[in-house]
Amino acid sequence: MDALLHVGLFLPLLAGIALLIWPSLGRRLAVAASGVTFLIAAWLFARASGEAYTFQALLLEPIQMYYALRLDGVGLVLWLAVALTTLLAVFIAKVPTRMLGWALLMESGLLGIFAADDLILFYVFFEATLIPSLLMLGLYGGRERLKAAYTFALFTLAGSLPMLAALFAVRYLGGAPSFLYSDLAAHPVSGSVADWVFLGFLVAFAVKTPLFPLHAWLPSFHAENHPSGLADAMGTLYKVGLFAFFKWAIPLAPEGFAQFQGLLLVVAAFSAIYAAWLAFAAKDWKRLLAYGGVSHMGLGALGLFSGNAEGVTGALFLLAASMVYTGGLFLVVGRIAERTETLEIGPVRGIAKSAPALSVLTMFLVMAMIGLPGLSGFPGEFMALLGAWKISPWLTFIAFTAVIAAAAYALTAYQALFQEEQNRVVSDLTPREWAFAVAIVAGVVLAGVYPKMFTQMIHPLSEALAKLLGGGA
Amino acid sequence: MQETVLLPLIILLPLLGFAVLGLWGRRLPEPVPGVVASALVLGSLLLGLVLLGQGGARWAVEDWIPGVPLSFVLDNLSGLMVMVVAGVGFLIHVYAIGYMHSDPGFSRFFSYFNLFIAAMLVLVLGDSLPVVFIGWEGVGLASYLLIGFWYTERVNADSARKAFIVNRIGDLGFLLGMGVLWAHFGTLSISELRELIAPEGEFAVGINVAAVSLAAFLLFIGAIGKSAQVPLMVWLPDAMAGPTPVSALIHAATMVTAGVYLLCRNSFLYFDLPDVSFWVVLIGMLTALYGALCAFGQTDIKRIVAYSTLSQLGYMFVAAGVGAYWVAMFHVLTHAFFKALLFMSSGAVIHALGGEQDVRKMGGMWNYLPQTRIHGLVGALALGGLPLLSGFWSKDAILAASYEYSALLWFVMLITAALTALYSMRWFVLVFMGKYRGHEHPHESPAVMTWPNHVLTLGSLFAGFVGLPYVVQSENLLEPWLNKAIVHHEHEKLPVLDEWALILVSAVVALGALYYGYRFFQAEAAGRLPAWFTRFQEASLRSFYADDVYNALLVRPLKSLAKILFDADGGLLGGFWWLGSATGNLGALLARLETGYLRFYAAGLLIAAVLLVLVGVIR
Repeated sequence: MDALLHVGLFLPLLAGIALLIWPSLGRRLAVAASGVTFLIAAWLFARASGEAYTFQALLLEPIQMYYALRLDGVGLVLWLAVALTTLLAVFIAKVPTRMLGWALLMESGLLGIFAADDLILFYVFFEATLIPSLLMLGLYGGRERLKAAYTFALFTLAGSLPMLAALFAVRYLGGAPSFLYSDLAAHPVSGSVADWVFLGFLVAFAVKTPLFPLHAWLPSFHAENHPSGLADAMGTLYKVGLFAFFKWAIPLAPEGFAQFQGLLLVVAAFSAIYAAWLAFAAKDWKRLLAYGGVSHMGLGALGLFSGNAEGVTGALFLLAASMVYTGGLFLVVGRIAERTETLEIGPVRGIAKSAPALSVLTMFLVMAMIGLPGLSGFPGEFMALLGAWKISPWLTFIAFTAVIAAAAYALTAYQALFQEEQNRVVSDLTPREWAFAVAIVAGVVLAGVYPKMFTQMIHPLSEALAKLLGGGA
Repeated sequence: MQETVLLPLIILLPLLGFAVLGLWGRRLPEPVPGVVASALVLGSLLLGLVLLGQGGARWAVEDWIPGVPLSFVLDNLSGLMVMVVAGVGFLIHVYAIGYMHSDPGFSRFFSYFNLFIAAMLVLVLGDSLPVVFIGWEGVGLASYLLIGFWYTERVNADSARKAFIVNRIGDLGFLLGMGVLWAHFGTLSISELRELIAPEGEFAVGINVAAVSLAAFLLFIGAIGKSAQVPLMVWLPDAMAGPTPVSALIHAATMVTAGVYLLCRNSFLYFDLPDVSFWVVLIGMLTALYGALCAFGQTDIKRIVAYSTLSQLGYMFVAAGVGAYWVAMFHVLTHAFFKALLFMSSGAVIHALGGEQDVRKMGGMWNYLPQTRIHGLVGALALGGLPLLSGFWSKDAILAASYEYSALLWFVMLITAALTALYSMRWFVLVFMGKYRGHEHPHESPAVMTWPNHVLTLGSLFAGFVGLPYVVQSENLLEPWLNKAIVHHEHEKLPVLDEWALILVSAVVALGALYYGYRFFQAEAAGRLPAWFTRFQEASLRSFYADDVYNALLVRPLKSLAKILFDADGGLLGGFWWLGSATGNLGALLARLETGYLRFYAAGLLIAAVLLVLVGVIR
């Protein structure tokens, strides 16, 4: 199994580099590489026995840094989501070939983030992923791409520095012999150090969740990226904040988390309702999806910061599910923009008449996004609600008014594009798009109808975290 | 009660129809999708009846999500709903084969229709609240898709969206209610909750009554949304934008009664909670009265019936609120027959007049539509409560239960019953009596549309006999059968004389109002109404300004605020930019302040204040 772990992790990287050097290799290579990666992820997922897949090799002796991988239930679910979304993205997005290479590079980074079991290694993956993401924006973005890229970089780096400090503090002040997760977790920091360590992680991870007010880079990031949605889908996968809180920040500094928990819950709830509200005023699809994503991550964060098992499971499930449906929506919107030459909501109307299958596909993903039970958006949202209510009914109420707002902004935009009097005739799904549709719908339905398949992988780990935090509260 | 995988098959049949017709229906020639869809619903009905005959059934997957099973139960209560949903649903499917004839979306229609049946069956069969919720939102989706079925008309798409969003307000209540139950009882399985909360037919000792009350109240908010009760009633009249079979099936016979069903299914929460039940009664009473008053001014044939649905749903809530759960379900049953019949008769008239829906351009249909006139007459009389018809018996049972609760409640419901009889005659007179006021050439519907109505007519005439009052039949069929599945308090029966007196009064009131309405509204057909009544009708037509108030107080402010915040959020980024390049001198900073960033700072202050308050709330 070891070999598969490394192949899955680095195959996209190699294929990506190859594509950057020899773009003539074409989309086929990208699809093949990400396809194999997906199969590996699926294979590992199917063969999971409850024990994590692990690997360790000492990398830098002087600071005791390991090349350590650990793919547990949560990691497997997220690998599956990342691999599926990347596969779908490189399969469907109409972009210059080199851009596919950058996307594959990003995939490796993302898989690394979810598999790293050494804090330095995690940091490396976490930061390295930024580079292809920035380059995609800078090279293939819209008119204001440089400003957007600059903003994105600024936010990310502003988070990175405190995180770097926290990373060293947590090891040396905690007294752990290495940067391995197991060592760090066995030597948690306490007292005011814990507060500062947690705060250091908090900034970096809040940018990537994203939480208000550190979400401000996201709308322009999406609006300025390539209209195909490839970079947006990959960017959606890069919103790893919830996972990072779960895997690193909270277990390594539980006392610090306890200090900030109240504030974090408030911020999460506020993010959820604030972003949902703003999405309603968005005038283009990408900003709408960007704010919608912030809103749903806010709901997830509310569950995670509740610190009980159901809330944490809900957050992670929602994270994985939203990778697929939000990524998928960005891609679909990209296909629509290719037909209508605009991402704006309003000028083009009534295209369901000429493209019924496209309209059904979009409706499907929109329904998943707004949490229709039976589709993948619901189980995570629901468990987050169950967990959050135990901690703070009022905040839960406030945050979950976002599900009303979600119906309003999503259906309003859907109506504007697909319904009412037709003023543009567009072509319906191509065979390639049908294949995309079948795959994503299958995934969304499977996770919605039989969430047990995924929650049973996540829940034991959530229970462990809840226990660490004091049996629930 | 047996464990059997046949139980979910009841749901899978129409779900299969949805998928197959949705994917390949367009390749099938016209009647085929309708026939397939109808056959699948009939299959569900038969399967349900067989299983019910064997004493019911259960089926479950544990830990569907951690701690929550995916479980279904077919007992007498859900069995009754399966009969209504699949039985009446089958008839309406058949009717729709004729009604949707030559519509370009023929197969799409039946695909959605089957989706609705599947979701509704999930709702009624669910034995775990999240499963009920799957169906709950699923019927909302089907309703959305079908209201907006002719989506190229903006008003239809608007109505569909409005229905979905308003329902979501109620759904939030449902979600939070589940949150309460989960936090306090650690399970969301309905049968487990019932064992925990009311094991011996009363609340368990030491139970947290405040938590049960909160949960009951929040679930009730969900019911208010789905069943279009005051104050979330505004979506139902607009939902009439959908094709008429949709109005009959979803917005009259089945989906809108889901709220009532939810209360009865979870009666173990409500039966010992007089405070929450009082709210149920109050909301039901207000809705009954409001719906009845709104029906008088409507000019659209379907909107008259829609407001009567609102009003009748109010009756059901009153019954549930006073603790007479079986009576609420009894009215669900009879109402399904006569209201579906009224809608489908309306549909037959609309069909006959080439799509005309304005009652002012109808009249005289008695002479043109020899079968539909009987359907319409029976439907209107059953709604109006003509003695011995189905609507009379169930409404009488509600009135009797109301009388036990409070004489005032009884009186209001009696007045409402009189209003019901009046407007049902208005509907009948404007459509069928007098001279035809339009210019079409009315023609009777084909047999595929009239036969389902024949069956519904029989139901409207005779369904009431399953729930006769005890003074007529010492033990009726429905009450003991349903009560096996419902937690309730045994009510003391009214004395024989009182019971007879109540029956007599409601019979006299209904007869009087029917007769008076029949006379009075012939004047409207002729345009000779008293001025005060015309003024009343103007307000009634606008549903007493409910939509206007909501738009002014909620919709428009929320929208404008969204725009303001959206712009300010851009300013937020500007703020970060400013932080990033803080090397600028104070003068430049001030210049920036004056050029539009003020709004950002104002918003920032506002947000900071809100955050501080929230921190205070949670700590």
